[in-house]
Amino acid sequence: MVDLFHNLGLGFGVAFSPINLMLCLIGALVGTLVGVLPGIGTIATVAMLLPITFGLPPVGALIMLAGIYYGAQYGGSTTSILVNIPGEATSVVTTLDGFQMAKQGRAGPALAIAAIGSFFAGCVATVLIAVLGAPLTKLALAFGPAEYFSLMVLGLIFAVVLAKGSVLKAIAMIVFGLLLSMVGSDIETGASRMAFNIPELADGLGFATVAMGVFGFAEIIRNLDAGAEMDRDLVQQKITGLMPTRKDLKDSFPAICRGTVLGSILGILPGGGAVIASFAAYTLEKKIAKDPSRFGRGAIEGVAAPESANNAAAQTSFIPLLTLGIPPNAVMALMVGAMTIHGIVPGPQVMQKQPELVWGMIASMWIGNLMLIVINLPLVGIWVRLLRVPYRLMFPSIVIFCAIGIYSINNAPVDVVLAGAFGLVGYWLIKHDFEPAPLLLGMVLGPLMEENLRRALLISRGDWSVFLTRPLSAVLMAIAAFLLVLALLPTLRKKRDEVFVESES
Amino acid sequence: MSDSPGHAPVKYIMPKWVRGPQDFVGGLALVAIALFALWASSDLQGMHGFSFGAGTAPRMFAVLLLALGAAIAVVGIVTEGPHLAHYAWRGPLFVSLAIVSFAITIRPLGLVISAFVSFIVSALGTPETRWRETIIVGICLTIGCSLLFPYALGLPLQLFPRFLVQ
Repeated sequence: MVDLFHNLGLGFGVAFSPINLMLCLIGALVGTLVGVLPGIGTIATVAMLLPITFGLPPVGALIMLAGIYYGAQYGGSTTSILVNIPGEATSVVTTLDGFQMAKQGRAGPALAIAAIGSFFAGCVATVLIAVLGAPLTKLALAFGPAEYFSLMVLGLIFAVVLAKGSVLKAIAMIVFGLLLSMVGSDIETGASRMAFNIPELADGLGFATVAMGVFGFAEIIRNLDAGAEMDRDLVQQKITGLMPTRKDLKDSFPAICRGTVLGSILGILPGGGAVIASFAAYTLEKKIAKDPSRFGRGAIEGVAAPESANNAAAQTSFIPLLTLGIPPNAVMALMVGAMTIHGIVPGPQVMQKQPELVWGMIASMWIGNLMLIVINLPLVGIWVRLLRVPYRLMFPSIVIFCAIGIYSINNAPVDVVLAGAFGLVGYWLIKHDFEPAPLLLGMVLGPLMEENLRRALLISRGDWSVFLTRPLSAVLMAIAAFLLVLALLPTLRKKRDEVFVESES
Repeated sequence: MSDSPGHAPVKYIMPKWVRGPQDFVGGLALVAIALFALWASSDLQGMHGFSFGAGTAPRMFAVLLLALGAAIAVVGIVTEGPHLAHYAWRGPLFVSLAIVSFAITIRPLGLVISAFVSFIVSALGTPETRWRETIIVGICLTIGCSLLFPYALGLPLQLFPRFLVQ
C-alpha cells in the first residue's frame, strides 16, 4: 500500500512538470478533435501522429499518445449526442439514447453525464492500473514461453468471440494477420521470409503502414462510395442547461459504476477493448432495467453506461501492455512501436527499471481526464462547427496527412505505396464482410506468438503437450477452448448477432 | 458497417449452385493468398530435429488459412448469403493515384508540390468536388503542412524540388 502511494507520488511528480502538462493537453485536444471528426479513427490518428512524437522525450511521447487515445473516446461521444454521428466506433451506441436526449432539448445533461461518467471511469481505471500493476508484474515473472503463448491464444479467441458476424471469417482474418506478420527477417535465423528481395520488406511489414491502410485509406474509400455528402442533421437549437438534475445523477450513478466495472474487465483482456465494452455495457443496462422500453428514447443510463465503459476499457488496456508486454489491441500495438523507437521494451522489466516512465504516464491519464472535463464542455460549440466542414474537402486533407505521416516514419516512399495497397485490401475486406480488427490483432501478436511457440517447443524438446501439462498454461488453454465452443454453439451465436443488430439499428 | 445494399449486378457471373457469392469469392481469395504464401515460403528451411526452421511457422499458418478459406467458400456454396457488393471505381482509383503520386514525387520534388498535387488528385475521387474551393483549401493545406512538419515538428522533409535547391 505504501508502495502504491509512493509510486503514484512519483508519477504525479513527473506528470506535473510544465512540459508534460502541455503535451498531455495537446494530446487530449488532438484526440478530441479526431474523435469529433467522423471518417478518421483512433488507430489511423495514432499511426499518423507517431512521427510527431519522435523528437520528444520518451515520457512526453507516451503521455501525448495516451492523451490522443482517451481524448478520442471523449470527442466521439460529443458528436454522437449532438448530431447522431458517432465520431468513433466506441460511441456508436451512445447515439441511440444520446441523440434522443438532444432532440428533447436535453443535450446539455447528456454531454455532462457522458463527461462525468468518463471522468469517473478514468479515475477508477487509473487506480486499478496502479493497484494491479505490481502484482501482475510478479505474475508475469512466473510466465514461461508456454504460458505466454497460451495467453495470446486466449486473447485471439476472445477477439473471435466478441467480433460480430461469422466466427469462421474472424478466425480466418486472425490467421491472415499472423501470416502477414511473418513477412521479413526470421527472428532466430535471420533468413528473409516472403520478402521477395525488396529491401523495404526485409524488416517486415510496418504495423503502422498496414493499420493506416486498412483503417485509414480503406475507410476513406468506403465513405466515398456512399457519396461524399453525408447528411448531417445538426441539432440547431442552443444548448441550454448544461447541468444534469439531481434525478439524472441519481439515475445514472449506478449505470456509471456498472459501466466502469464492465469496461475495466473487458479492457484488461486481450482482444477486448473499448468498442466491445460500450456495446456490452449498453446491453447490460437494457437487460437489467425495470422498463427496457425507455432505451432508445432518451434514457440517461444509455449514455452514462457505455461512455463510462469505453473510457475505462481504453485505460485498463494499458495493463497487459505495461505488465506482460502484450498489446491487447491495435492502438496499444502502436504504443509498442512508439516505445521501441525510444528504446523501451514494454514488459515487466519496464516497471522496475523505468518507474518514472510508467507511473508518469499513469498519472498523466488522470490529469488528462480532468483536463478533458474542464476544457470540453466550453468547447462543444467549436466541435459542432467543425462538423460543418464538408467531407469533399476533408477527405483529401486526410489522405495527405496520412501519406505524410506514413512517409515520415521511415522516410520510405515504398511504405506509402504499401499503405495504399492495404487500403485497397481493406476496402475489399469490408465489401466481403471481413472485419479488419482481428486481422490487425493477429498481426500485432504474430511475432510474439511465434517467438514464444518456438521457444516453448525448444524447451520441451518438441513436445507439443507442454501447453497442456504446465498448469497455468493448461488453464488458459481450457478457457480458450471453452470460449470457442461457446462461440460456435448456434444458440449463443444467434443471441450475439441479436445484440449487435439491436444496437446498430 | 453498412455495405451498400447488394444490388446484385454481378449475379450472372456466378454459377447457380453458389448461394452466397460474397462468402464464396471471399473464401476463394483467402485460399489464393494462402497458396501464394506457401509458394513464397517454399524456399525456407523447415523443421530440423524438434526446433522450428524459418519456414515452419509461415507454412503452418498458410495451411491453416488454406483450410479456413476453403471452409468459408464451402459455406458460401451451401448457405444462402448476400450477393457481391457493388464496387465503386472512382474513389478507389483516384485515392490510390493520389497516394502513388505522393510516393513518387515526395523525394525528387519536395513536400510543397507533392502535397498539393496529391490533394488535387484525391479530390477527383468524388464528383461533388467544386474546383475553386478545393484549390483554395489545397493551397492552405499545403502551406500548413509545410510549416507544421519540417519547422514545428522538425521532421527531415524536403520542401522544394531537389534541382532548385542545389
